[in-house]
Amino acid sequence: MGIFENLWLGLQEFGHFLPILMMFIGVIVGIMVGVLPGLSPSIGVALMLPVTFGLDPISALVLLVSVYLSSNYGGSITAIAINTPGTPGAVATTFDGYELTKQGKPLHALVTSLTASTIGGLVGTIILILFSVPLASLALSFESYEYFALGVFGLTIISSLAGKSPLKGFISSGIGLLLITVGFDTQLPFSRFSMDIPDLADGIEFIPALIGLFALGEIFFSIEKGDNQKVEKTTAVDLSNTLPVKKLLKLKSLVLKSSIIGTLVGCIPGAGGTIATFIAYDNAKNASKHPEEFGKGSLEGVAAPEAANNGSVGGALVPLLTLGIPGSASTAVLIGALMIHKLNPGPELFSKEPGLVYGIFISLFFANIFMFFVGLMGNKLWIKIIAAPKSLLYPIILALSFIGSYFIQNSVFDVGICIAFGVLGWLLKRGDFPTAPVILGLILGKMIEENLRLSLIKGEWLDFFTRPGSLIIILLALVSFFLPHIKRKLKKIN
Amino acid sequence: MKVKNYIAGFVVISYLVLLGYLYLGIGQGTQYPAKPITIVIHSKPGSAIDYMARKVSEIARNYSDVPFVVENRSGTQGLVAMQHVLDKKPDGYTLLGVTKSFLSTVMVNKSKVKLDDFLFIANMVDDPEAIISNQDRGFSTVQDVIHNSKLDKKQVWIGPGTGGRDHLMALKSWEVLGINANWIDYKSGPQSILALLRDEAAIYVGNPSDIKGKSGLDVVSIASESRLSSLPDVPTFKEQGYDLYESMWRGFAFKKGVPDEATEYVTKILQEVVNDQEWKNYCNETYVFSNFEKHVEFTQRIEQEVEETNNYLNKAGLLAAYQAQSKIPLIYILLIIVGVTLTLLLAFNKFRFRRISYDQFIAGGLIIVSLFFYYQTTLFLTPENADVTNPALIPRIWIIVLLILSVILIVKSRNKIIETSHSKPGTVLIIIVLLILYLLSMQWVGYFFTTPIFILITMYLLMYRKPAFMTINAFGFVIFSYFIFNKLLHIDLPLGWLLI
Repeated sequence: MGIFENLWLGLQEFGHFLPILMMFIGVIVGIMVGVLPGLSPSIGVALMLPVTFGLDPISALVLLVSVYLSSNYGGSITAIAINTPGTPGAVATTFDGYELTKQGKPLHALVTSLTASTIGGLVGTIILILFSVPLASLALSFESYEYFALGVFGLTIISSLAGKSPLKGFISSGIGLLLITVGFDTQLPFSRFSMDIPDLADGIEFIPALIGLFALGEIFFSIEKGDNQKVEKTTAVDLSNTLPVKKLLKLKSLVLKSSIIGTLVGCIPGAGGTIATFIAYDNAKNASKHPEEFGKGSLEGVAAPEAANNGSVGGALVPLLTLGIPGSASTAVLIGALMIHKLNPGPELFSKEPGLVYGIFISLFFANIFMFFVGLMGNKLWIKIIAAPKSLLYPIILALSFIGSYFIQNSVFDVGICIAFGVLGWLLKRGDFPTAPVILGLILGKMIEENLRLSLIKGEWLDFFTRPGSLIIILLALVSFFLPHIKRKLKKIN
Repeated sequence: MKVKNYIAGFVVISYLVLLGYLYLGIGQGTQYPAKPITIVIHSKPGSAIDYMARKVSEIARNYSDVPFVVENRSGTQGLVAMQHVLDKKPDGYTLLGVTKSFLSTVMVNKSKVKLDDFLFIANMVDDPEAIISNQDRGFSTVQDVIHNSKLDKKQVWIGPGTGGRDHLMALKSWEVLGINANWIDYKSGPQSILALLRDEAAIYVGNPSDIKGKSGLDVVSIASESRLSSLPDVPTFKEQGYDLYESMWRGFAFKKGVPDEATEYVTKILQEVVNDQEWKNYCNETYVFSNFEKHVEFTQRIEQEVEETNNYLNKAGLLAAYQAQSKIPLIYILLIIVGVTLTLLLAFNKFRFRRISYDQFIAGGLIIVSLFFYYQTTLFLTPENADVTNPALIPRIWIIVLLILSVILIVKSRNKIIETSHSKPGTVLIIIVLLILYLLSMQWVGYFFTTPIFILITMYLLMYRKPAFMTINAFGFVIFSYFIFNKLLHIDLPLGWLLI
C-alpha cells in the first residue's frame, strides 16, 4: 500500500526534535492567537511566517499548520467565555456556548468544544490523507453557479438562527447583506457607497465589525440591564466532577457528521470554515431530537460548529496540496511559506516530496492530540476569568476589542467601525433582533454577488437549475428552509 | 490584605518605567543609518513582492550595517501601505515596496496619494506578463491563439481585477495581435487558475510563476525582450513577430524629502544585493528578470508608463466613468441628522411614544437608511464598453427586501406595548461617548496614556470600587498589551503626535 509507505516516510521526516518542538510551540501560539479577538487564524499564520525562514521546510510547515489548526479551536474559548468570537469560525459557537456560561455551566461548553474540535481536526486529517485526490475534483467542480447556490443555501440557515421571530432574523441578515456591498464593486475598480471616505473605499473590515457586534453589543446590552453588578455563578471548578462524559458520548455521531461537513465545505476554495460552521449548526438543529434547546444552551449546538470548524482545516489543505490553490486566507499564507522554502505547492509536491507532505499530515494528527491536553489545562484558567466580576471584566474586554480592531490594519477608522457595530448590535439586541444573521449576511453577501454576476456574464439564470451541482445545492437549500416549518406544522396537527 | 497593595505599587512602577522607556528613548544616532530600515509591503506575507522584499532583506544582511525589516500593510490595492509611508517622517528609515500596479491604483482611486509624493529609488526585477492556457487547448504559439479567436467569436480571457495590470495587458495584447475577445474578471488569482484548470477560458493573463507546481497549464508566450533562462522553452511575442512588451516591475521608493545620504546608502546596498549570486538564484527560481534601474532611469520609465496606463484605462472606459462620479456632501449632513436623532431619542429613553413601539422605531430607521442607499445606487456608473452586469443590481435587491420587511414589521408590531422599565441606557451612552473620546485622544496623546484612564473610568462607572484591583488591571493591561502587540507582534501602538 502506497499510503502506509508514505506515512512511514512522513513519520521519519516529522520524528525529529525540531519539528516536534515546533508543533508544541505552534499549538500554544495558535490557541493564544485564537483567544485574542482580532487575531484570526490567517493573521496568526502570517505573523508566524517570518519566524519560519530560519527553519528547515518540515519544521516551518509544522509550525504554521499547528498554529492554523489550534487557532481555530482557540476562537471558541472567548466565544463561550465572553460572547466574543476570537475568530470568525467561532461565531456559531456563541449561540449555545455563551448561553451555557450564563447558566453557570461554562465548563460543559468548554470541554464539549475542545473535544469536538479535536475530533473534528482528527477526522479532517484522516479524510485529507485518504481522499485528497477525489476531493480535489470536488473542489475543481465548483463553478460560479455552485458558489452562488452555496451562498443561497447559507442564507436559508437564518430561519434556524432567528429564534422567536423569523421576520427579525431576515431583517438582520438584510442589514449584513447590504452593508457588505459597501466598498469595491465586484467587477469594476469603483467603490460603492463609500461616500468619498478613503477608509471606506475598500469596504467594511470584517473582524472589527464582528468584534463590535458581538463583544461590544453584548456588553452594552448587559450594562443596560444592570448585569455588571452581578457576579457570575459558576459550578465547581473540579474537572473530574463536571466533565460531561456521558453527555459527550451521546454526541459522537453528531460530531462525526459535523466534522465531515466541515472537511467537505472546507475543501471548496473560497467557501471556508466559517460557512461550514453555520451549515453544521443548522444541520444539527434540524436533525436534533430537541431543536427547541438550540440557542438556549444546547451541547449539540456547541459541538456541531466546533467539529466543523476544525474539520475544515484538513479540508482547506486539499486544494492547497493537490491543485496548488489556496482554499482559505490562511492557506494563502501557507502557499507563500512553501514558495519561500522553494517548494511548489500542487500535484508536484506529492510526487517529489512525499515525506514532507505526509510529515505534515502526521504532525496535524499529533497537534490535535496535544491541543486537547493543552486545552484541558487551559480550561482552569478560563473558568477563573469567567468568574471575575463583570464590572472588572467589561472595561478590559472593551480595551481588548479596541486594540484588536486597531491591530488588523493599524487603522483608527477600523476601531470606529467596531464601535459603530457595537451600537448597532446593542440597538438590535434590545429589540430582540438576532445579531448572528448580520454576520451571516456579511460573510455570504460577497460570495453571492460575485458569483451571481459572474454567472450572468457567462450564461443565464436558467443555468443555475440545469447544472447538477447547483441544482442539488439549491434543493438542499429549499429543504433546509422549509423542513423546520413543516416539522412544526406536523407537530401541531399531531 | 497588604499583598495586593504591593502588587498594585509594583504594576504602577513598571508602567512608569515603560513610559520612560517609550518616550525618553526617542532620539536618533548621529550618522545614517542609525537604526533598522523598514520595508513596507502592500500585500500579505508570501506574495511575490513580499518574497522579494524578504530576499532583499536577507541578502542585504551581508552588506548593510543595519537590518532591513519587512512590514506588511495590506488593503485598498496598496493605498494603505502608501499612506502609511507618507504618514511617516522622510528620515530614510521607511522604504516602500512599489510595483507597477500602483500606477492604476493611484489613478482609479479617489485618494490624496499621488505618485509624485514618492522618490523612486530603484527598480529590482521585471516580472514578464504572460498568456497562459490549459494544455487541452493545444495552443503552442501565439498564432494558435489568434487562429482560435477567428473561429471562436466568444474567446474568453480571464484574470484577476478589472483595470489591473493583467486586464490592461489583455487589452494591449488584443490591440497588437488583432484579436477580438472578451474579458471576464475572476476576482482573484486562485479563482482564475481554477477556471483555467476547468478549461472555462482560452487564456489567463498572469505571470510565468503562476504555473509553478500546477499540472496541465502552459505558458503560451511571454511579453519580454528575451526568453527566461529558467523557462527556456517558453517563446516571447517578439520572436513570433509581435511587438508586445509588458512586465510587472517591483522596486523601492522613499517618501520625497529624504536626506541624500539615505538615498545613496540604500541605492548602494540594493546594487550590491543585485550583484549577489543568491539574488540571481532567486530570480531564476521565481521566473523573473533581474533589472536594476537607478532613480533617474526608473523615474523616466514610470512617467512613460503612466501615460500608457492612462491610455488603456481610458480605452476600457474606466477613467471616464470614474471622473464622472460626483461628490455627495448631502449624504454627510443627512447621516449626521439621523445619528443625532437616534442618540437623542435614546438619551431621553423616549422609545415609548404613545403610538410608536421600539420595533417600529428600528424599522423606521432602517427605511430611512435604505432609502439613502437606494439614492446612492442611482449614482453608480458603468463604463459603456465593459461587459459587466449593473453594479446596482444586487444592492437594490437587498434594499428592496429590507424595505418590504421593515414595512411588514411596522404593520405587525403596532399596538405592542414595550416593557423597558428598569433599563439604564444612560450608562451605555456614557460609555459609548467615552469610547469615542478614547479613540480620538489616543491619536493625540497616545495609547499608553489614554488606555489606563479609559479602563479606570469605565470600571468606576460600572460600580467597581476596589482601588488595588483597579490599578493592577488598568496598568497591568497596558503593560500586557505592550509586550503582546509592540514586542511580539511588532505593531506600533500610537504614541500620540502631541508628545513626540
